[in-house]
Amino acid sequence: MQIPSSSPAIEIPDVPQPATPAKGLLKGRWTPYWLLLPGMAWLAVFFVLPLVSLFLTSLQSPVSDNPNDGYYFNWDFANYSEALSRYSEQFIRSFIYAGVATLIGLIIAYPVAYFIAFKAGRWKALLLVLVVAPFFASFLIRTNAWKTILADQGWIVETLNTLNLLPQDRILNTPLAVVTGITYNFLPFMILPLYASLDKIDPRLAEAGADLYATAFTTFRKVIWPLSLPGVVAGTLLTFIPAAGDYINAKLLGSTKDRMVGSVIDSQFIIVRDYPIASALSFLLMASILVLVFIYVRRAGTEDLL
Amino acid sequence: MKNLSTPRSGLVLPRRRLLQSAGIGGAALVAAACGARGTSTTPAPSGSRTDGNVAAKTQPDQSATEKELVWSSWVEYIDEDDDGNRPTLERFEEATGINVELREDINDTAEFAAKVRPQLEAGQDIGRDLVVLTDWMAALWTRQGFAQQFDRSNMPNADNLIPSLQNVAFDPDRDHSLPWQGGYTGIGFNSKLLKELTGKSEIRTVEEMWDPALKGRVTILAEMRDSMGLVMQSLGADPANFTQDEFDAAAAEIQAQIDSGQIRQVTGNDYIPSMLTGDVVAAFSWSGDIALEGKPYKFVIPESGGLLWTDDMMVPAMARHMANAEQLMNWYYDPEIAAEVAAWVAYISPVAGAQEAMEKIDPDLVDDPFIFPTDEDLANITAFKWLTPEEEVQYSRIYQSVIGN
Amino acid sequence: MATTQVEPGVDELEPARLSPVQRTLTWIREHALAAYTLLALIYMFLPVAIVVLFSFNKPIGRQNTRWNEFSLDAWLNICKDPTICGSVQVSASIAFFATVVGTIMGTMIAFAMVRHRFRGRSTTNLLIFLPMATPEVVLGSSLLALFLNMYVGSWSMPLGFWTVLIAHIMFVISFVVVTVKARLSGLDPRIEQAAMDLYADEKATFRYVTLPLVAPGIAGAALLAFSLSFDDFIITNFNSGSTVTFPMYIWGAAQRGIPPQVNVIASIMFFGALAIVLIAQIVSASRRRAKS
Repeated sequence: MQIPSSSPAIEIPDVPQPATPAKGLLKGRWTPYWLLLPGMAWLAVFFVLPLVSLFLTSLQSPVSDNPNDGYYFNWDFANYSEALSRYSEQFIRSFIYAGVATLIGLIIAYPVAYFIAFKAGRWKALLLVLVVAPFFASFLIRTNAWKTILADQGWIVETLNTLNLLPQDRILNTPLAVVTGITYNFLPFMILPLYASLDKIDPRLAEAGADLYATAFTTFRKVIWPLSLPGVVAGTLLTFIPAAGDYINAKLLGSTKDRMVGSVIDSQFIIVRDYPIASALSFLLMASILVLVFIYVRRAGTEDLL
Repeated sequence: MKNLSTPRSGLVLPRRRLLQSAGIGGAALVAAACGARGTSTTPAPSGSRTDGNVAAKTQPDQSATEKELVWSSWVEYIDEDDDGNRPTLERFEEATGINVELREDINDTAEFAAKVRPQLEAGQDIGRDLVVLTDWMAALWTRQGFAQQFDRSNMPNADNLIPSLQNVAFDPDRDHSLPWQGGYTGIGFNSKLLKELTGKSEIRTVEEMWDPALKGRVTILAEMRDSMGLVMQSLGADPANFTQDEFDAAAAEIQAQIDSGQIRQVTGNDYIPSMLTGDVVAAFSWSGDIALEGKPYKFVIPESGGLLWTDDMMVPAMARHMANAEQLMNWYYDPEIAAEVAAWVAYISPVAGAQEAMEKIDPDLVDDPFIFPTDEDLANITAFKWLTPEEEVQYSRIYQSVIGN
Repeated sequence: MATTQVEPGVDELEPARLSPVQRTLTWIREHALAAYTLLALIYMFLPVAIVVLFSFNKPIGRQNTRWNEFSLDAWLNICKDPTICGSVQVSASIAFFATVVGTIMGTMIAFAMVRHRFRGRSTTNLLIFLPMATPEVVLGSSLLALFLNMYVGSWSMPLGFWTVLIAHIMFVISFVVVTVKARLSGLDPRIEQAAMDLYADEKATFRYVTLPLVAPGIAGAALLAFSLSFDDFIITNFNSGSTVTFPMYIWGAAQRGIPPQVNVIASIMFFGALAIVLIAQIVSASRRRAKS
C-alpha cells in the first residue's frame, strides 16, 4: 500500500521530456497509441470538447434582455473586458488568498516533510499516515468543524480577544478564516510532494556539507533546498491552483466581502444565467492561472540551475 | 409595528407541546383575516396570463403501481415531534400506503430553481414529484411549462383554499400551483445577546440593524425580494410599486453595510444555525423559523413594514407521480391537518377552516397574527411587485453584484 | 515513494566530528523540528477531533455545534435517516467505479509516457496537466453544458449517477497519471533489461517484474482517486441532477444543522483509512523483514 499522491510531480507541458529508457519493452509501434487511446479519448470528449464549447459560449451575446431568449454567437470579445472590469476585485482577492494560503502551507509543510524524511527514523511510515489520514474525513465536514472551532463564542476566539489580538473581534467570516480553511484543506497536496523530493536526497550530502565546515544553515541553503525544489514547485502548484478556483471555503468561512472568483462564476452560471460572462470569467481564471504557473515554473527552473 | 409584535405574539410558541394536545377537530368558515390578504398581493402583469403559458411536458403517471412520492421542501416546514417523526405525514402514509420521501433541500428559491432548471429545460424528470417554491418562482414555472397541471377533481379539499389566494394572475384556476404556507419577512434577533451588546431589548427598525455595536453580527437574505423589500420600506419606498431610483438607493444602502463590514453574511435558510451559535445576533428572517426556536429569539415586523409571501406546491414537468401528489395536497387541505401543521410551523395557513380547527389544538393560537392575520395585522405588510422576466434579470443582476457575486 | 524502502537509521548519519557548539545547535534544531511537526499535526487533527467528539454528542435540537451530553445514539443508529446512508452508498459506488476505470486508463497513459516514444508527447502532457490546472467550477459547468446537449432524438442524457461518474473518471485520470508516472520513472530500467536478458519475454517481464514494482504506485493512485471522487462537491453539484452524494447531503444538511450521524460516518472513514494504511504498512514492513 502506498500513501496517495506521494509524488504527484506535476508535469509541465513545455518542459521537454528526457529520452525514454527501456527500448526493448513492449516495443510494438502502435503500442503507445493503444495505451493512450482510452484515457485520451475520455479527456478529449469530456474535457476538451466542453472547454471548446465553453470558449464559444464566452463569445456569445444575449438575444434580448430576457435570458430565456438565449444567446447567439457573435465573436463578442467585450465579454472578457466586461468580466474583468466587473469582477477584478474578486479576481485579485482569489489570487491573494490562494497565494497567502500557499505560502503558509509551505511554511507549515516544509519542516514537517523535512522531519519525516530525515529525522523520523522508524516513525516515518506512521507519521506519513498521520499526515494524510485527517483528509479522509470528508472535506465539507472538516470545513464545518472549523466553523465550530472558530465560532465567535468558541474558546480560541475568546482567548485571542482577551489578549486583544483580533482586530475584528472574531475570526469566522473574515479573510483569516478563509485563509485558514484553504491552507488546511490543501495541506496534503503540499506535504506529500515535498516529502517525496526530500526523501530522494541522500542524507550523506548533508554530511558532506558538514564535513566541509558548512554550517547547518549553509548546508540547508546550498544543498537541501535546491535539491528539494522540484517538490516545492509541485507542492505549491498543487495547492495554489485548486485554491485559486475554490469557493467553498470562502462561502462557508468567509463573509460576503470575502467572495472569491469561483463563487462569482458559480452564481453567474446558475443564478444570473449570464452564460457568456460566466464562461469568459472561467477562461480568464484558467488563463491567469496558467500564465502564473508558467512564469513561476520558469523562475523556479532558473533558480534550480544556479 | 402594529399588534404583530404585541407581547403575546412575541412568538415564543410552545409548539412542541401543542402537538401533544389531542382532540383535533371542528371545521368552519374562512377566517375573515385571510380574506384581507388579497389586498396585499399585487396583481401580476397581464403578460403572465395562463393563456400565454407553455404546457408542461409529462410522462405516463406511475402512481398506480409506484406508491411513492419525492417531495422537496424547506427546512422545518412541517410538523415534527421531538424524535424527528412527522405526525401528519406519517398518518398520510398509513392512510394511503404512499411512501413519502421528504427532502428538506430547498434553502433559497432562486438557488434551488437554478439547480434544476437545466433538466427542466432539457425536458428531463428532476426526480421530485412535488416541490415547494415561493410564488414569484411559481409564476415563472407556470409560465415556462415547468409545472404540470393537476386535476382538481382528484383533490376536493383544495376548494378550501382561502379566497384571497384563489385568483392569482399566473394561475387563475389554481391547477398548477397550490399554496403550502405563507409568511412574513421581518427581523429575527437574539434578545439576550442584543441586550448584552446594545442594551436594547428589541429591534424595531431596519436602521437598528446597522447599529455599530452589532457590527459583523447581522445577516440579510440572499432572496432579493426579501432583503431589498425590507430595505426599500425602511427608506420609504413601496416594494409593491417602486422606481428604479428607489431600487438603486436600497441597493446602495445594502452595499454600504456590506462594505463597512456591518453585514456579516448573505444567507438562505442557513441563517438559523448562525443565530443559534450566537455568531449572528439579528437577521432578516422568515417569521415561522424564529418562532420555532423559542426564547431568546424573537421576530418582529419592522416599523417601516414587512413583506408577505406565499410558498406554492407544484408538480414539476415530467414527474411521474401526479396522482400521489394530488392525494398529498388533498390531505394537507383538510382543515384539521392544516391546523396541525400551522400550529407547529407558525406560518400563515392558506386553508379555510384551519383557524376553527386550531381551537381544538391550541386556543392561544387562534388569534395569532402570524398564523391567522387580521386586516389590521396586514396594514403595513406588502407583497413584492411582480416582475417581468426582463425586470427579473435586471434587478437580480444588480442585487447579485451587491452581494458579492 | 520511499515509504516502502528501508531507510538507514538516522543516528548512523550523524556526522561524527561535531564541535560541542554544533552539537547543541543540532540538538535544539532537531527537537525544535519535532515540536514544530507536533504542532502541525495538532493543526491537522483539530477539526477531525471535533468531528469525532461531536459524533458522541446528543445535540439539543438540530444544531450539533455545542456539547450537550455523551451519547452513543448516533453510532447505534447510523442509518436512522435513510437518506444519509443512501448518499454514502451512492458516493461509494461512484467512487469505486471512477477509481477502477480512472486507474486503468491513467496507468496505461503513464506506461505509454514513461516507456515509449511517440509523436504528440507534448500534447499528451498538456492534456494531462490541464484538467489539474482547471478550476473545478469550470470543469463542472462546462461538462453540464455538454451533457445537456447530448441528445439523440427525444432521448437526452439524464443527469444523475452516470453523468457524475463520467465527470469523476475525467478528473481522476490526471492524478492517476502523475502518481503512477512518478513511481514508474523512478524505476531503474536496467531491472527490466536484466529480466529480458534472462530470456523472460515481454509479457513475463511485465507480469513478474514491472507490475509488482509499480503496484505500490498504482495502489496509491487508486487510493487518491477514490478519495478525490468520494469527496468531490463542486463538479458533482453541477452534474448530479437529483442524485444525492454524501458531500451534497452534507452541504444541504449544513443549512439546518448537520446530524451527528454524519460525524459518525466521517469518523468511520477516518479510522477506516487509518487502519487500512497502517495494516498495509505493517504487512509490507514485516514482509521486508522476512526477506532480509
